Amino acid sequence: MLRGAVGICGFLLLWECAVQLGAVSAQQLCPPSQVAAAFFTKLADPRPDGATLGAHFIASSSVALGGFLLACLIGLPLGLAMGYYQPVYLLANPIFELLRPIPPIAWIPIVTLLLGIGAQARIFIIFLSAVVPCVINAYTGIRHVPERYIHVGQSLGMSRWRIFTKICIPCALPTLFVGVRLSLNTAWTALVAAEMMASVRGLGYMIQMGRLLIQPDIIITGMLTIGSTGALMSALLSLIEKRLTKWGAER
Amino acid sequence: MNGFSERAAPRRLLRLLPLLSLLAFLSVWHLAALCTDLLATPLDTAKALAGMLFFPTSKVTLLHHVWASLCRVLAAYALAIAAGVLLGVLFGWSRRFHDYCYPIFELLRPIPPIAWIPLIIMWLGIGEPSKIAVCFIGSVVPILVNTYFGVSRLDPTYLKSAKILGAGQRALLTHVILPGALPSILTGMKVALSSGWVCVIAAEMIAARKGLGYLIIRSMESGDMVHILVAMILIGSVNFLFSWLFSKLEGVVCPW
Repeated sequence: MLRGAVGICGFLLLWECAVQLGAVSAQQLCPPSQVAAAFFTKLADPRPDGATLGAHFIASSSVALGGFLLACLIGLPLGLAMGYYQPVYLLANPIFELLRPIPPIAWIPIVTLLLGIGAQARIFIIFLSAVVPCVINAYTGIRHVPERYIHVGQSLGMSRWRIFTKICIPCALPTLFVGVRLSLNTAWTALVAAEMMASVRGLGYMIQMGRLLIQPDIIITGMLTIGSTGALMSALLSLIEKRLTKWGAER
Repeated sequence: MNGFSERAAPRRLLRLLPLLSLLAFLSVWHLAALCTDLLATPLDTAKALAGMLFFPTSKVTLLHHVWASLCRVLAAYALAIAAGVLLGVLFGWSRRFHDYCYPIFELLRPIPPIAWIPLIIMWLGIGEPSKIAVCFIGSVVPILVNTYFGVSRLDPTYLKSAKILGAGQRALLTHVILPGALPSILTGMKVALSSGWVCVIAAEMIAARKGLGYLIIRSMESGDMVHILVAMILIGSVNFLFSWLFSKLEGVVCPW
């Protein structure tokens, strides 16, 4: 812990010195002190890119959450159904395998042409990127339910639906969460990309503007905000996960 | 693995389902293309793809773009493997180095590689080095993390017995640590290649003069749907090829 703090302080000091002493041009990199200053001014000041940090943050996270939730709502049930009912698997899998290798950022141009550069388009891109891990992990989760559990259910006379909801889903829950967490990560990355290429609001737009205006302090502030928001969201998710899969810890 | 819970569905019908779904996909695409003027039909796309592969459009062929992107991703990948494995082993090997330096890495890790693009363009301009750097950042992280994971999860008894048998530091590294961590390193390399590919496309979309990412963004600006679809198909195919190659490689390199 202490050593880590020393390490980080040393890193910041080195960075500060490198810029202050002129080893790196101030046009290309700004010292950490200036980043901190830029962070606080940006909280209230909409210059130079038209919105405060808070406004960008809210724009980004609402779009990210929208796309992410949509992906969970559609992807998880689809994956579960693919794992449990073979016809669904046979119908959905070929299309899924066909589209899966195309990275979400490659969807940006086509979606922009079809839907414009509004929030709707970005939500769709995020949905595309986040739905893949949801489907894959929900499917794998169901397929890895031990067969004997299902036999137990059958011999207890449970209906297929009850076996599905009472045995398979709880069993697959940890794997489901792996998928949900992955999809949150990819959603956040895809959002930044979408905002950099086709948007007029959001953290990705902010860093892109920072580049055009040659303001490294804005770029680095944006990068750090993006990074910490991503880290915060996945921390939040692991908290929820711990709550929901308490029973798994005892195994 | 449990079997699919079978509802008595005729076998032959089941076998037709994948074909049916692909047909449905293509016909929905076709119909959508007919309804809006924006989208190109699957047939047009296929024709364009076949034509452009070998005949140049605006002086360069499609293969030229693919080649440009591939060169960038492979150069960055080689660098990332070297740096990632080195740092990963160091983090796992030296307690002190880990304690001092890992937090810095942890601090930078949540920043998506794509978010580095503006800063890197400011540093390195819009030439080859900046694209390779973005791609490097995208692929070094998974390699580093997985190498570190593999080294730190190594069974301590292996290390102890090798030491008892008189292995020096170097022998320990090359005969125990690296082979022990290899499966984990390979996992990292697999993730890294696909993430590097995504990064190179992103970097090219933001600033480049050739490459698939450049092709797709230029087609967006000129509203040329056929080229967008062709680029998407190629980007997806290369990605698919990478993961297919890796699944083959894994079987060869570490069959244990």
